[in-house]
Amino acid sequence: MMHDDTNAADLLMGDVVRLEDVLSREAVTTVCKSFFALFGLPVRVISHEGDLLADAHQDRPLCRYVNTLGSGEKACAATVGAVRDLEPNGKAVIHPCFTGAVYRVAPLSYQGRAIGRFIMGPYVPAETKDAPSSLSSVDPALDVKTAFAHFARMPRVRDDIAEKLSTHFQGVLELLVFSGHRAQLASTMQVANVRENYRELTEKNERLKASFDELKELDKLKSSFLATVSHELRTPLTSIIGYTEMLESGTAGALSDGQSEFLRTIRGRADQLLGLISSLLDLGQLEADTLKLNKEAVDARAVLSDVGSTIVPAANRGNIRLEINVAEDTPKLHGDPIRLRQIVLNLAENAVKFTPEGGEVELSAEGGTLDSGGAGGLGAELFSSSQPAVVLTVRDTGRGIPKDKVARIFDAFYQIDGGTAREHGGAGLGLSIVKQLVDGHDGKIEVTSEVDEGTVFVIKLPAVDDDA
Amino acid sequence: MQVDFAAKELTVKLVYYGPALSGKTTNLRAIHWLATSDTCGELMTLETQNDRTLFFDMLPITVSSESGLKVRLKLFTVPGQVMHNATRRLVLQAADGVAFVADSQRSEDEANRESFANLKQNLAEIGIDPERIPIIIQFNKRDLEGIRTDEELEAIAARSQATIYKAVATRGYGVVQTLLGLARKTWDNLEKEHGLEEKFGIDPATLMTEVESKLKHDARRRER
Repeated sequence: MMHDDTNAADLLMGDVVRLEDVLSREAVTTVCKSFFALFGLPVRVISHEGDLLADAHQDRPLCRYVNTLGSGEKACAATVGAVRDLEPNGKAVIHPCFTGAVYRVAPLSYQGRAIGRFIMGPYVPAETKDAPSSLSSVDPALDVKTAFAHFARMPRVRDDIAEKLSTHFQGVLELLVFSGHRAQLASTMQVANVRENYRELTEKNERLKASFDELKELDKLKSSFLATVSHELRTPLTSIIGYTEMLESGTAGALSDGQSEFLRTIRGRADQLLGLISSLLDLGQLEADTLKLNKEAVDARAVLSDVGSTIVPAANRGNIRLEINVAEDTPKLHGDPIRLRQIVLNLAENAVKFTPEGGEVELSAEGGTLDSGGAGGLGAELFSSSQPAVVLTVRDTGRGIPKDKVARIFDAFYQIDGGTAREHGGAGLGLSIVKQLVDGHDGKIEVTSEVDEGTVFVIKLPAVDDDA
Repeated sequence: MQVDFAAKELTVKLVYYGPALSGKTTNLRAIHWLATSDTCGELMTLETQNDRTLFFDMLPITVSSESGLKVRLKLFTVPGQVMHNATRRLVLQAADGVAFVADSQRSEDEANRESFANLKQNLAEIGIDPERIPIIIQFNKRDLEGIRTDEELEAIAARSQATIYKAVATRGYGVVQTLLGLARKTWDNLEKEHGLEEKFGIDPATLMTEVESKLKHDARRRER
């Protein structure tokens, strides 16, 4: 639900604007001074709470003179006090001064609520001819002639003009309040908005993270399930293969040609199944990160020729030329010999499988470098480091991989030809295992392929560190 | 609803909701133009450069009841664009009633639907029961081509048991009726929940007459 953003909602509802909140004293003072400079009328702005916000005036000679006399000063203070405390109810109020001048007190309202007032004056209404008796009698020491002379020099304003000026000033101030309030609301909304969006995003991120964690957990379960199941499948299968071998060898008595033929088929299929189960087990262990690699210095030449001799029969059957090239200065690999053989064998078998009759498969090895660190782009050169490596290449002239499929060939269970009537067998695990084994060796595998021209797998694996 | 006992004021929050460009701001502009100046405060709009509401429009309308209590209706609009959802939620907070301004054009059906679903979702999220808050519906832009027919609207009204108002906000038609309808329904609901008549001595019928009379221009307009 909503949290800290009640400010915005409160602000929207409670529009009791305090003048001080939406108007800067400087701005009001500037307006007052300008008004005073233009019309010569003193003006003061007072908040609803009675604080003086701005004041533009100059003491008139009459006021100065009256204030030099004891009772005059008292009467003046009383008048000014009364004027300041005056709260006009909706309409401007004229408050007389004993000197014959007047103060005009006008209300400031915003959205129907009183928010303050302003005082215009003192000025003498143009209609007033003579100084009143209240001036001459204010203090016994008053010199009537001087006082009347000062009175004559007081600013004179016609009533209708005073009203217009007051209305104008009121309009200006109320407009300022409106703008100030608007700006205040906009900025509060902005902040509340940012907070609300942030809250929303945080919640979404948390939900995303929770589902991500759940997925990761499921993935782990899947891997350990794979490992367990394949292990359990292998045990009975080993018995099947063992007993089949025993039958074949005649341990249980002589066999007819037909029986031998059937047993060979059973053996062949059982071996195939064992291979598949082993792959599943590997994948399970690789994904669960429990596969152990026994790394040592391995001769690339030995790996390639071993793989070569394994696939020669299949290559011969398909009339495919097999070539093995190992450069003279190829360093030794740092890896698990069994797994390295598995990597190359898998790729080589695929190459033979997908190369048409009369084609060519080449296995080669040479020295090279392996970049690590930077993921390319800006700074890649700066932050990456390269180390000596062995580059193994498996090249064929087979049917190739379509461009849009290349990115997915290393996914587990992915088959380029996913239809049920697949020409070639397999569970789609080989390349996934290859990729994970290469990763496990801190190596890199890349593939380039052209449809109907062939495929090249390039594997870069760390070479043995001579300094170590 | 907000009560300020010191100022003897009761503020009711009414929110105009709806898809982008359905005429929410136009509704408020029309009300502002129709209402008498002593009743209606300045219309405050916080808008983007291209004249579309960014945060909200706000229009206060004040009426005094016989009991001396002032009732203020504060009208708000929300920004309709999808991206401003956080703002919509903020403006919706503590709303007492909602007018949903729908665009009558058939091409806008989907936008109306989405916006209405969004309204309900947002209400629920800020802790207001969408089934209990008064919501009235205005089908705006009745003067355009390709709109849902009156019969269709009647059928919708019958089916949903919602009160539906028809309007051409650009010309001020139906705008006051919508506002009065919303105010009445909202007041009824507040009366039920808070017993306002007993507490503050406000007679609902008198109050509505008062609100209506403040929108004088509309009466004049009808005479013409």
